[in-house]
Amino acid sequence: MNHDPWIWIGAFLTLMIFSFLYKDNPFYKFAEHLFVGVANGYYIVFYWQNALMPNLFEPLGAGNLVYLVPLLLGLMYFARFIPKIGWLVRIPIGFMIGWGAGISIPAYFQAFVLRQLQGTIITPQSFENTIDGVWAVVILIGVICTLVYFYFSKEHKGILKPVSRLGIMFIMIGFGASFGYTVMARVSLLIGRIQFLLGPWLGLID
Amino acid sequence: MKWYEAISKIDRRIIYLLLTVFVILPFFVPFKIRQNIMPQTQRLFDFVESIPPDDKVVMISFDYTPQTMPECHPMAIALLKHCFARNIPVLGLSFDIQAPGLAVEAFTTVVNELNLKASNYDDSLFYGKDYVYLGWKSGFTAAVLDMGESIAGVFPRDYFKHPVDSLPLMQKTKNYKDVAIAIVLSASAYPEYWVLYPQSRYGVKVGAGLTAVMAPKYYPFLQTGQFSGMMSGMKGAAEYEHLIVEKGYTKKLGRAETGMNSQSIVHLLIITIIILGNIGFFFSRRDQKQS
Repeated sequence: MNHDPWIWIGAFLTLMIFSFLYKDNPFYKFAEHLFVGVANGYYIVFYWQNALMPNLFEPLGAGNLVYLVPLLLGLMYFARFIPKIGWLVRIPIGFMIGWGAGISIPAYFQAFVLRQLQGTIITPQSFENTIDGVWAVVILIGVICTLVYFYFSKEHKGILKPVSRLGIMFIMIGFGASFGYTVMARVSLLIGRIQFLLGPWLGLID
Repeated sequence: MKWYEAISKIDRRIIYLLLTVFVILPFFVPFKIRQNIMPQTQRLFDFVESIPPDDKVVMISFDYTPQTMPECHPMAIALLKHCFARNIPVLGLSFDIQAPGLAVEAFTTVVNELNLKASNYDDSLFYGKDYVYLGWKSGFTAAVLDMGESIAGVFPRDYFKHPVDSLPLMQKTKNYKDVAIAIVLSASAYPEYWVLYPQSRYGVKVGAGLTAVMAPKYYPFLQTGQFSGMMSGMKGAAEYEHLIVEKGYTKKLGRAETGMNSQSIVHLLIITIIILGNIGFFFSRRDQKQS
């Protein structure tokens, strides 16, 4: 069994959190509140030391006055708390939206729209390997049927009905895969904690 | 209460207890379930295999959190072992605020383990020459775009406050041209942003190590070739561990591979519970219809 007090604190906090699975209790509440407090403290100190100090206050202290511009823009966010000058908050928000849109929109179209469209198009190269060719056809059918399912401008009658039905089957398979992966993720977290309790704490496993 | 009503009303605490027992059991009753390697993990492994030794760096972005450590940390350990075994230099960095401690822990664990086995000076790993951890940076978008021009411009000092220009590895790693692949180990949306910004603008090859919850969303990026490979959850990590053992880079299996025994058993339990629940539901509904 480990003699490191931090391992013991970690183990007890883990058990306190797990106690919620039985029912809500003061031990769980204590661990939950402690977590929120520690996390907030960590974030504040981390940002101060690693973001504000090196990126703003140290350059300003060294006489680099250009950094007054981001400082002023940042302070304008707090204008929201003073109704008379509340309109000032629009300046940094406008700046962020303009910068963000300019950076993101072309990249977004290229990476998430055009490249994904290219991935759906079947070319002779798709059939160089038979299995890949079959999957390329399945993907094309899946994309078209799913898009038809979300096409609400026309009632799903005639040819649209079976196509949209097939579309919802693809969607359901997607949901099933997501659910399966989610179960695996959550079980992994439990395994991680059990490995910690049995290993570093109790020393029963490597 | 009829039997089918009983099985659809099992107390959730009994299910939690069963889950815990099924997770613990495989650690004490050893057995081996064969891992089949998924193509996306094999692709990532093959990509790292194809990088020439002592040439370009593998950039690993450590962006996972303590909550997702069981899934992403074994990926980091396995990747580092693979790169160091092939003399591929590693450049680590983080954009998630909770990640730096975990990244340093991963480097320390692997480097200490390999240096203990090193038979001579040339086999040993040295900070600054074989690997560098740049630390954390705020402002993800601006940082990843600026690294296309100069990595040292974005990270003037590394995590340990050394001037980056003074490190031998960084003298030959100026920007993305010197990066073979950026592998993002993440529990949030960082991998798609690596595709969105550095890949779109600079053509950076991107690989990913994701939590299982995220994996389904990222399969389209594999199909288009935007991801050069991907590890999905604890299974992906176990597969990568399996591949490096199979190739002879290490003898010791990692935590993910041992955890996968529990994972497999628990999945069988969950499938059984789902089937029982459905049987209970269908029989109860039949009773309701008849009455």
